[in-house]
Amino acid sequence: MGAVPRAGRAPALGRMPGLPGAAYLLVLLAAGFMAAAPEFASARNLSNIGLQAAALLIVSLGMTLVILTEGIDLSLGAVLGLSGVVMSVLLVSDGLALPWALAAALLVGVVAGSVNGGFIAYAGLPPFIVTLGTYGMAQSLAMVLTSGNSVTGLPASVRWLNEGEWLGLPVPVLAVAAVFVVTYVLLYHTRFGRYVFAIGGNRRALELSGVPVRAYLVAVYAYAGFLAALASFIMTARMNAAHPTIAIGLEFDAIAAVVLGGTSFDKGRGGIWGTVVGALTVALLRNGLNLIGLSTEWQVAVVGLVIVSAVAVDALRSRA
Amino acid sequence: MIAAVQRLPAEVAFVVFTRAAVVAALVILLAFASPHFLTSDNLVIILRQAALQFLMSAGLTLVVLTGGIDLSIGAVLGLSACLGAALIAKGLVAAGIAAALLVGLACGLVNGALVAYVGIPAFIATYGMLWMAHGLGYVFMKGEVIHGFAPGFRSLGAGFVAAIPVPVLIAAGLLAVLHVVLHLTRFGRALYAIGGNPVTARLTGMPVKRYLVAVYGLSGVLAAFAGLVVIARVNAADSGTGEELLLTAIAAVCLGGTSLFGGVGGIAGTAVGALILALVVNGMNMLGIATFWQAFAMGAIVILAVLADVSFKRRFS
Amino acid sequence: MRLIAVLIAALLAFPAETLAQARPKIVVFTKNVTNPFWRAVRVGADKAGKALGADIEHAAPTKPDNIEEQTRLVEDWIVRKPAAFVFVPVDYKALVPSIQKVNKAGIPVVIFSNRMSDVDFVTYVGSDDETIGYEITKYLIKTLGGKGKIVHIDGVPAAITAQNRKKGLERALKEHPGIELLASQPGNYRRLPAVQVFENLMQRFPQIDGVVCANDDMAVGVAEALAAAGRGGKTKVVGIDAIPDGVAAIVSGKLQASADYSGHDQGYLATAAAIRHLRGEKMPKEIRLPVAIVEKTNAKPWTLPVEDKPVPDWAKVVHSQKM
Repeated sequence: MGAVPRAGRAPALGRMPGLPGAAYLLVLLAAGFMAAAPEFASARNLSNIGLQAAALLIVSLGMTLVILTEGIDLSLGAVLGLSGVVMSVLLVSDGLALPWALAAALLVGVVAGSVNGGFIAYAGLPPFIVTLGTYGMAQSLAMVLTSGNSVTGLPASVRWLNEGEWLGLPVPVLAVAAVFVVTYVLLYHTRFGRYVFAIGGNRRALELSGVPVRAYLVAVYAYAGFLAALASFIMTARMNAAHPTIAIGLEFDAIAAVVLGGTSFDKGRGGIWGTVVGALTVALLRNGLNLIGLSTEWQVAVVGLVIVSAVAVDALRSRA
Repeated sequence: MIAAVQRLPAEVAFVVFTRAAVVAALVILLAFASPHFLTSDNLVIILRQAALQFLMSAGLTLVVLTGGIDLSIGAVLGLSACLGAALIAKGLVAAGIAAALLVGLACGLVNGALVAYVGIPAFIATYGMLWMAHGLGYVFMKGEVIHGFAPGFRSLGAGFVAAIPVPVLIAAGLLAVLHVVLHLTRFGRALYAIGGNPVTARLTGMPVKRYLVAVYGLSGVLAAFAGLVVIARVNAADSGTGEELLLTAIAAVCLGGTSLFGGVGGIAGTAVGALILALVVNGMNMLGIATFWQAFAMGAIVILAVLADVSFKRRFS
Repeated sequence: MRLIAVLIAALLAFPAETLAQARPKIVVFTKNVTNPFWRAVRVGADKAGKALGADIEHAAPTKPDNIEEQTRLVEDWIVRKPAAFVFVPVDYKALVPSIQKVNKAGIPVVIFSNRMSDVDFVTYVGSDDETIGYEITKYLIKTLGGKGKIVHIDGVPAAITAQNRKKGLERALKEHPGIELLASQPGNYRRLPAVQVFENLMQRFPQIDGVVCANDDMAVGVAEALAAAGRGGKTKVVGIDAIPDGVAAIVSGKLQASADYSGHDQGYLATAAAIRHLRGEKMPKEIRLPVAIVEKTNAKPWTLPVEDKPVPDWAKVVHSQKM
């Protein structure tokens, strides 16, 4: 058992090796926007940010595990779209009961993730290419199922997934909290989590100690796919429609969130607290730029600048 | 001399053989499927589309050889093409071309500096550049279209020399130049070394960081160059130019056998990859297959190609 | 570090000035910042704001036509409490919940260009895509003398504009059995994909008498491809939008005609409708713009840059509508 490095101990926020640059950035942005736009700090707006970030947060948590294993998953946006489409088509065309449709969507996510994991772990293909390929395939399937259109006419029960409340909190916030707790426990209190860190940090050693590394790797991608499908519930409910391209580009935002949060592409370093900060930063940045009325054209450039700057600061700090 | 981790002869043969077989199979299949396929007109069209695709993927190939990635090529293509177009449409063709190439170079050098000197992962650095270049393009164009270029410039994209489209000639020329650079210059061989064995490369005193900055700069220039050919072809430039080209460029590179892990592959492979993509798209249009399936086909093809390469390597090394 | 940030915030925070609401703030939504059609909409909207005394701000997604982003933009704008929304949905179904939120917030909405159902709105301003598709196809059929083979280059298949324009095309075709539709393939409203799709189609069909393109960006590309292949004289191309590039091509003879979808007029009228509604004027349920077919003989007014285009006569336009 000595071959498995004791990486990934559950870090309390204070004991982290230094907050990621995104944490300071988040505070700075929040302060700046509060000053520049009076409505920014309103309860309505803050709740908007939380809800807008919900899907991104959930997908980013799955992406964190993938990146911790030195992988990447470019298909999550398309898988989210496909899951949402499958769920909606089953609800509308086949009149399936909601729980079954949700289960089918989750299955789609798990299957897509497993396909990714299978090619990556067992065939040894680069994650970038595999997930690029499955992105194309999932996108195509979703477009074929809908002829490129939105699927509407969903039963009213679906909207609860985004607008409902339970114990006084909006459902999406509860969903994010639940996913965070589950992921936290998985990552820091189970063998699975230790292996995730080890696959990224020292895969060879893990393999040599007889652990079925490849099976665990498939599980990581399957989990990411599962979470993407879960996020599709929230997004579909938000639009009251499923659309095949609804989440295109989300995976890139998720990757940015993970990296901003301090998780590194190699050596299995990082964690999910950072991801939460990173995702909130991205959502807050976009919201704030809208509220201060920055023109769309400049928003595009500013977002790129902010991401690069934040990551640059972190990279330079870790050198010093 | 650094023992560059270039492809072993057996692997080269495998890649060449499989790609040639795929091209031949596609050609035969399509010739049977449609009477209009094997016409000289259609083949010229396929070659020109492949040439455009190759021009867009050439710079990316070099970057991937070093184990990196450049997600900004589409956006840089668009930005530099728009800036160049503004001048070219006013009749300042030479100045416009120079401006476009300079902008591409600048963006590429920034990418390289971020990756090599600041230490940002190439994925994030070039992703950030993608957004910045897009944004600057939108700000500059303000939603307008620049159209109407001089016939001399237009021939870059739409002209012919003895029945061969000019882009095909340009692509062939670029292919030859880059092939020589990759295999006969120190810089080129260094790219393989950096991708295949970065630690050793650094230990032997190779100026790795400078080479990295150079290769990303080159990628930017080549993207700008491709952009000029594209706008010459369609006789217009707008801020959306180049947006859809990133994923097919990556597909062409991978289809050609260049590994995303770095250190393995080559520019000739990318040319063949571009040809395969053009054949597939042309075939699908010929057969009237709905465009929705095109993304599926490309995704599947790319995975199969890489799977074949990896399986071969595993079996024979 | 955190302390410093808090201090900065405290220092900078000052009570926001609320200027007297003499000039209402109106937000005008467009689908993207890349297509010149939406630019024409914004120019028209700005003219209305200037003429009628309102502050116009624009909202468009950073990723063109992105549904999730437009949803966020709507939510963020509700927080800013503008006087009115002038809105076009990137997807007429998926943006329904968002506009319902606007309704709930009590902010009036004027919808233009793409109809929406299940939402409250002051008025709908637009040309009817189905009529446009019908008219431009009929024009082409007339040019061909009622007989021939044509090809259709479609827009983005999911877009309601593309779907309705295609329905109009199909209606015109049904009325003229002498015309054969060889193929209908999407060019996604973009020039390079349309050129490449059409090139391949040109190989498949050696004889194409006419091409209907769902927008001018594609139509001009197709016309250029035909000219390059030396088939320009034998194939007539028509488009939709009458953007400057298309009009130039009509004047030079490369393009046969284009149906004016008049982004400029839509932007002006929709914004004017919003401002007038705020003043208490009654609006017709719909403000339909007539379809104008731009061809060589009447192209002159359309060659003006969008900034110099004359604004529509409000009284005249509204008078011709049903209340």
